[in-house]
Order: sequence, then C-alpha cells, then structure tokens
Amino acid sequence: MIELAGIVKRFRDADREVPVLDGLSLSVADGEMVAVVGASGSGKSTLLYLVGGLDADFEGQARVAGRDLGTLSERERATFRGREVGFVFQSFNLLPHLTAMENVCLPAWFAEGPALRAEAPRRGAEALRRVGLLELAGQRPARLSGGQRQRVAIARALFAGPRLLLADEPTGNLDTRSGEEIIDLFGELSRGGMTVLVVTHEERVSRAAGRVLRLEAGRLA
Amino acid sequence: MRASALLTLAARNLRADGRGALLNGAAVAVGATALCLFLALGMGVGQAVRQLFPSEARLVEVVPSSVSLGPLLGGGQLDDAAVRRLAALPGVTAAWPRMNLRVPLAATRGPEGLALNYPPGFVLQIPAVGVEPGLLAGALAPGAAFADPGPEGAIPVVLSSRLLELYNKTIAPAWNVRRLPTGAALVGLELPVKVGFSIVPLKTEDRVYDARLKLSGLSDRVPVHMLALPLDVVRRLHREYGKADQGYSAVTLQAASAEEVPSVAAAVRRSGFAVDDADRALAERAGAAVGVATLALSFLALLMLAVAGLAIAQSLLASVRARAREIALLQAVGATRGDVRALVLAEAGLLGLGGGLLGSALARLCAAGVDRAALRLLPDFPFRPGSFVHFPPWLWAVGLGVAVLAAVVGAIGPAAAATRIDPARTLA
Repeated sequence: MIELAGIVKRFRDADREVPVLDGLSLSVADGEMVAVVGASGSGKSTLLYLVGGLDADFEGQARVAGRDLGTLSERERATFRGREVGFVFQSFNLLPHLTAMENVCLPAWFAEGPALRAEAPRRGAEALRRVGLLELAGQRPARLSGGQRQRVAIARALFAGPRLLLADEPTGNLDTRSGEEIIDLFGELSRGGMTVLVVTHEERVSRAAGRVLRLEAGRLA
Repeated sequence: MRASALLTLAARNLRADGRGALLNGAAVAVGATALCLFLALGMGVGQAVRQLFPSEARLVEVVPSSVSLGPLLGGGQLDDAAVRRLAALPGVTAAWPRMNLRVPLAATRGPEGLALNYPPGFVLQIPAVGVEPGLLAGALAPGAAFADPGPEGAIPVVLSSRLLELYNKTIAPAWNVRRLPTGAALVGLELPVKVGFSIVPLKTEDRVYDARLKLSGLSDRVPVHMLALPLDVVRRLHREYGKADQGYSAVTLQAASAEEVPSVAAAVRRSGFAVDDADRALAERAGAAVGVATLALSFLALLMLAVAGLAIAQSLLASVRARAREIALLQAVGATRGDVRALVLAEAGLLGLGGGLLGSALARLCAAGVDRAALRLLPDFPFRPGSFVHFPPWLWAVGLGVAVLAAVVGAIGPAAAATRIDPARTLA
C-alpha cells in the first residue's frame, strides 16, 4: 500500500532549510495497522500528510495505493486525496455550520464525475451507521460529544471508500473511554482490509497497532 | 467542482458568518443604490432638459451674416440663388427658406368657436413668418393645405406646439382665462385678424382689412414667438403693401445625419452666411451640465462601491485567515487550490449579488419617492416633465453587475491568500 524510498522533506526556517524527513524509507502492506511514534518535531505528521498527498514538495520516491505521488498533477492529487485516502485529525476539523451528515458527505462536493455525488446520501448514511451515529445525522457538531465528533470525522474519512486511513493523534482530544472506542474502530477497519497509519503519542494506540515505527530526527529508529 | 455545489457551499459559509455577510452586503447595497439612483436621476433630468430645449439634431439654421462683402465673395442676401447654393452643399438633403412678415397683423377678438374669455379691448400683435410646406411635413392636420388661399380665403397657419404649453402654464393663469386644450383639438379654429394694423404708433399701414387665420397644425419647427404662414401668403402681402424684397430672413437646412451637422455648418460659414445655433448651444450646454453632474455623482457612487469592495476584501481576508484549518480540510477531502479560489470568489459574488439586488431595488424605491416628491413640491411650470427619473430595466442589470464586479474584484486578494494556505502545515 505504501512504499517510500529515500524521502527527504525540508522546511525553510528564516534563511536556512531544516530537514524534517531525512532519507526516510518504509513499506506498509495492505490491511496493516501501523502506529508512527516519536518525539515532537520528529516528522510524524509531515510523514502522514506526505503519504496522504497533501504535501507534494519532497524528494525521493513515494508510491501510495499504486500511485507515484511525485508525478501526480494537482488535480490528480486532489482526486487521490478524495478517493484513496481518508484523514482523521486530533481536532476533528468538522465544519460547525454543517450537520453530521453534511460533514460526512463533504468529499462529494469536490468529487470528479457524478457517481460519488449521486451516491452521497447512501454512502453518508452507511458511513455514519458504520461508526454508530446514524441517528445523529442531522445534528451539528456543537451538539455532539468529543467522541461522537471524532466518529463523525472517521465516517467522513470512510465516505469515499478509501483503502488508506491516515490518523493524526486521533485520540489526543478524547477521554479514555472514547479513545478506546476509536482504537477499537481502527482495529476493526484494519481487520476489514483497510490500511491504517496512525501518528500517536499514546501507548494504548501503539499497542493496538500491528507494527510501530519510531521516528527520530526524520529517520526510522 | 460543480457550480451548484460551489454556490451552495459558499452560501452555507456566508450563512455561518451571517453578521459579517450582512454588513458586507449592506455596504455593497449602499453603493449600488447610489449608483442606480444617480443614473436614474441623471437620465430623467436629461430627458426633461431635452424636452425643455428641443433641438432637432439634423437641422441647421442659416441667417445672413452680420458682416458681408456681398455676393461677389459669396454670402450677402439670402435669395433664391443662395438657397439653391445652400441646398447643393454636401450632406444637405433639404433647404427651406423662411421670410418674416413685414406687414403688421393683429387680433382684436378671440378665436371663433372657442369660448375663451378674451380680454375686452385687448389687441394681440402677431409676429409671423412665411415658410414652405416641406418644413412642416407631418405637422399639418390631415387634408389641410398649406398654401395661399387668395385674398378672401382663411390663411392656414401653424403654431408652435410649445406656445400652447407656455400659454396654459403662464399666461392663462396670470390673466385668469381658460386654458386651451393641447394637441389636435385646436386644429381648425379660425382667428379673425386685421391685416395692416399695428399697436405701435405710426406703424399701421394705410390700408387695413379683415382676414381669417385658420389653425392647420402644431409644430416644434415654428419659433415659439411666431406664427407660420405659407411663404406665398407673405410674398403676396409684401406685394400688396409695397414692401421691397429683402430676401429671406433665414434658411433651414436638413443634414443627412446628425453627425454631418458640424461639416454642413462649416460649409455654410465658408459660403459667407452665419449659423444661428443659439437654441442648439443652449440645449447642448444644459445637456452637458446634466451629463457632467450625472457623471460626477456616478463616479462618487462607483467610489462607494470601490470602498464596499475594499471592505469585502478586508473582511474576506480576515475570514480566510480565520478559516485556514477549514480551507486546509477542504483540500484534504479533495478540493484543489482552484476550488478554494472559486469558493472565496463565489462567496464574494453572492455578497455582491445580494447587495446589488437589494441596492437596485432600494434605488427603484428611492427614485419613485424622489419623483413623487418632486411632482408634488415643484410648481406646474411650462414643460415640467411627467417624471424626473428614468429607470429602464437595464439599470437593474447595471446595479447588479457593478456590485458583483466590485465584490469579486475585492475578493481576488483573499482568494489568492486562500490558495497559498499550506494544508499539511495548517492541519499538522
């Protein structure tokens, strides 16, 4: 699912370039659940967004879901993000003025072709049912608990039927019980054949993952 | 991204920040209101001025030059030869000579068949000019002949249609006499006159006899202070009273088009004659004054719209900064930078559309109010227009279009800022 070779990513800081990923290579198989751990600034989130096609400014070879990310146009990268990848964030990133269902169906607004848009109501309902929140489809995020919001965010990530789920500290803003529910959900998705890459600081998430990758100064330790 | 999806999402975003959207929309609406109202007033007053100072764009009035070296160098008297020369000038399609009547003509009674309380003992001295029927084509009543009827017949005459308006709005109220009906209702009336009689001492001719004038039509081509007779009648009266031939008093030329008037006027001057363009100049000066005022006010309104555009720019820029994570999220779920740019521009476009629609509607209401107030408060002066504003349907399109343009142009900067958001760094 993920093949990275010699990835170098630098950020410009004032007048110098700071390497965040420094010749990183890794491989993740289909259906694997992998936790990425490491200290703050070690490049975990950078790795996640690079794999998800949000960051195209890197050196090296990155092949994800059969696509060579270095050769995709902006439109192709957008389609890749909308169809092949689902993102889950620590702070949920739900649009407050949209209902849970509308948030879940958000990728359909930008989808190319009519298929995904036509299927949006069915897909949205299915994704919410999968995370157990179908009955709250008409609620706005402000009326939901933290755990419920994160489950809506996961439903949004599942909406287009991606093969890869990328989660950045998904339990960071949740209480213990809600966090465990999310971890269980990720495990279930992984067992269903979805590849899950989770950036985390939490031991319980690492324990649930099939493999743990530790990043230190932009390299695998 | 589909246009319908784009507009729906933009509308949702605006609704989410309802207060800001309302303020920005109101700013645009004020500008659009001002623009549409000023243009409507300018066009309305312009129409009123044209009504007040009618000037046929294709006509050139030729008069003898005040300084002339005689026919050797061209110019001099406006005789038949001069009329033929003027008619042959490039761009001239017709030439109609006019000759002022130098025999006094006076009315001592009101018109027959009209119950008009004519002041007893009042004598109305009538200045008259002889013209050819061609000049009055279209103004004569159907079947009316504009030719010399002979010494016994009623002389056909044509009045200025503006004279009736002046009479009804100034003379009739001042003298407390009946107002005259306007238009064709007066045609056919006969006025008994005394030919050769003058109210000026020593100007009455040796022979005075009764005659009748018959109104055959109304025309704006007749000077407001004169009455038009057939040219042959004027020639006959001059012969009867032994008036020496002094040539024509003026010649009206008709140019092929309004654009050719300046070149025709220049050719007339080169021929040694003068052009009487006082009426045209007055109309042009009045029209220009209204035009300049309209232009200045419209410029002010455009400035207001530009300020509204800046307000939208500032507001959207702040909004884009505040919504950086939201914009990054849209990119994470499949939006391109183009989609993000289009979304910000669509939000501005909707603000402009709403503000423009509201502004145009407010301008229409204000225009109606101004019109009603003007008609109620202003006195009933001659040539007072029926409306002081002109609000054609295309003015709605102008209000909407300029408002949308101002808003969208204002959003170009914020849209560009939105596309510069790095989703990876923003979401990390």
